[in-house]
Amino acid sequence: MAGKRARQQGTGEADAEVSSASSADTAAAAPVLLPADCRMAAQAALKAELLGVLKAGAIVLDGTQVERVDTAALQLLVLFRRELDAQGGTLRWHGTSDALNEAAGLLGLAQLLNLPAEALA
Amino acid sequence: MSAVDLTQFHKTFFEESREGLDAMEAALLALDSGSTDHELVHTIFRAAHSIKGGAATFGFVDVAAFTHVAESLLEEVRSERRAVDSGLIELLLRSVDCMRAMLERSSQGQPVADAESEALRVELVRLVSGEVAEPAAAAAATAPVSGWNIAFTALPHLLQTGNDPLRLFRELQQLGRLEVVRAFVTDSAPAQLSELDPSQCHLGWELRLHGAVARGDIDAVFDWLDGDCELTIAPLVEAVAAVAMPAPDTAVPKPVAGPRPVRETAAASSEGSSIRVGIDKVDALINMMGELVITQSMLSDIGEKFELSQLPRLRDGLVQLERATRELQDSVMRIRMLPIGSVFNRFPRLVHDLERKLDKRVRLELQGEHTELDKTVLEKIGDPLVHLVRNAIDHGLESPAQRKAAGKSETGTLKLNAYHESGNIVVQISDDGAGLNHAAIVAKAQQRGLIAAGQELNDAEVAELIFQPGFSTAAQATDLSGRGVGMDVVRRNVRDLGGSVGVRSVSGKGSTFTITLPLTLAIIDGLVTAVGSERYIVPLTSIVESLRLRADAVRRIAGGGEVFHFRDEYLPIMRLHRAFACTDAVTEVERGIVVVIEEDGRRVGLLVDDLLGQQQAVVKSLEAHYRRVQGISGATILSDGSVALIVDVGGVVRLGQRSRAA
Repeated sequence: MAGKRARQQGTGEADAEVSSASSADTAAAAPVLLPADCRMAAQAALKAELLGVLKAGAIVLDGTQVERVDTAALQLLVLFRRELDAQGGTLRWHGTSDALNEAAGLLGLAQLLNLPAEALA
Repeated sequence: MSAVDLTQFHKTFFEESREGLDAMEAALLALDSGSTDHELVHTIFRAAHSIKGGAATFGFVDVAAFTHVAESLLEEVRSERRAVDSGLIELLLRSVDCMRAMLERSSQGQPVADAESEALRVELVRLVSGEVAEPAAAAAATAPVSGWNIAFTALPHLLQTGNDPLRLFRELQQLGRLEVVRAFVTDSAPAQLSELDPSQCHLGWELRLHGAVARGDIDAVFDWLDGDCELTIAPLVEAVAAVAMPAPDTAVPKPVAGPRPVRETAAASSEGSSIRVGIDKVDALINMMGELVITQSMLSDIGEKFELSQLPRLRDGLVQLERATRELQDSVMRIRMLPIGSVFNRFPRLVHDLERKLDKRVRLELQGEHTELDKTVLEKIGDPLVHLVRNAIDHGLESPAQRKAAGKSETGTLKLNAYHESGNIVVQISDDGAGLNHAAIVAKAQQRGLIAAGQELNDAEVAELIFQPGFSTAAQATDLSGRGVGMDVVRRNVRDLGGSVGVRSVSGKGSTFTITLPLTLAIIDGLVTAVGSERYIVPLTSIVESLRLRADAVRRIAGGGEVFHFRDEYLPIMRLHRAFACTDAVTEVERGIVVVIEEDGRRVGLLVDDLLGQQQAVVKSLEAHYRRVQGISGATILSDGSVALIVDVGGVVRLGQRSRAA
């Protein structure tokens, strides 16, 4: 379940679908890499990193490396997305791991996280 | 209609009904274990009958209607028109639960009937009218739901208890198809991401669980979240649509299955205003009072025409007075003491249910049910005991097959024992199961980062690990011995009562959990200390040692704190006169006395002027008479009539640690 296999989708249809809002300026933003062990202990660092890029507006998250994830991590991302939305920014994914997809799907947070729809099948 | 206000009797009705239900439950369980005593059936019938009568009198229509059907069924059993089988007993046990829940809701003024009670009532009606006479069919009818609506909102501290909703949802998924109707961020979430504490949870969910899932299985998933979330579980509407049921929103939030959810606790504490006392205790009081009156009249007689020759009589009188007063004090204290049996009594049912659910065979032995302890302690010890009993059956005792393979009898034994020991009450929960799995516990602790890899631990240290917060093995309860579920909560609850909990385990032979509790929270043994003109009482149980320090033994550290060397460690000195702003106190350390106190393994030295002696202190709440003061847990009256404050050791140690950290 928590395999390493990741779906890369830096380009292609799914990508266009989730970031139609501002596909023009996303190219400039460097992806924020979510750590392999993305659980409670990693949240403080991740939060700081996310706060750092918040102002950039168009954010790309790389969830391909995530092997372990918990509710705290997904909550952090949900609140990040919420604040980003409030500022008019956008969230886009540079791929997600199965573990991340499974957890987000189970908690019903995939939509709130703007995860690529086809990953949830 | 009636000039009499019936509400004044409600409380009595509820209490008697609860007792009636307990009696019904006990009798049903006795019937289930093969007893053929006809008197048991009568007991059950009588209890149901009086609850019905009372409910009708006091206008609890729903309760009366429900009980009426149950009574009709019981009437058939009583007149031997219906045979007793395990299906019927199961149904009646569920009815007892249902009535208990209904009464609980009536006593809180909430709507009484809910979908569950209505479904159960219809089931009973069907059975009575003969529609479903076959026990097999009755069993099938016990799971008429096609699914459940679950509203689950985490309270912020949920994650800190080691419970991750992710794991809960996985468990729910095992039961049936889980659909997340809505996931949302709660209002408790901070507005700014920067203010978010990632260890706090601010999420809520509306879930739908499809499939013929038993309510008990869902409850079991949320079992350990007692007080950590808001939870409502209601059957899916279409399931019982045929039964003219109330709208689903009348379903009262079903508290998490751990028997005392937050709101009920609140109700329980407001109930705390009354106590049922055995008539013998009241008689003892009256008896003592009579002796006091006699002594008093004798003394006043001497006082009226006193001559020196009567001095011996006066002395005798005073001795009598003293004895009578002491006995009176004892009797009054005994009124607050209740037998622990009232807590033990809920375990036969719990064990019965768990046996079925976990497919294990358990023999429950209760000992020392008559051991008495303070009502306050009694009320709060129930939940930790339930946790421990559940744990013992779930993780301690093996399945019949495993037991057979290990050369033990297929039926496991679970022993609950209570007894007094040197001013404390000791409660032991022991099983003859597999014992703690040391290797697995150590592995888990390393994985959780509680201990460093390769660290060698002895048995006691390993056992200690399971009480660590965050050592929850619930997710892998099957592949690990999984004893850590909620053990930190158990320890916290017991500590709150001023007690301690420990475990002894022999691999393959079983484990014994021992809870030691003070007999009462109303009286403590204390050391009276002087600080200036004030008197402070330090609870004796937390004192490690008292000593006089030389001036050069005290070191000053950066930030103005003072420490001294005590048995290989440096302890902060806490000047009580400074903490509580007492004037004219001794300020030179070498002229005062340092009392070393300990809480949770942390020590602090308290500087006081002098030690005045040891005394039993009757604790009076400061909050009730004044307000809460940090570092003070209560007050007491000294023999000269002056007020002394009781030091809250935990609070003072925290203050001391903070001043050292600063």
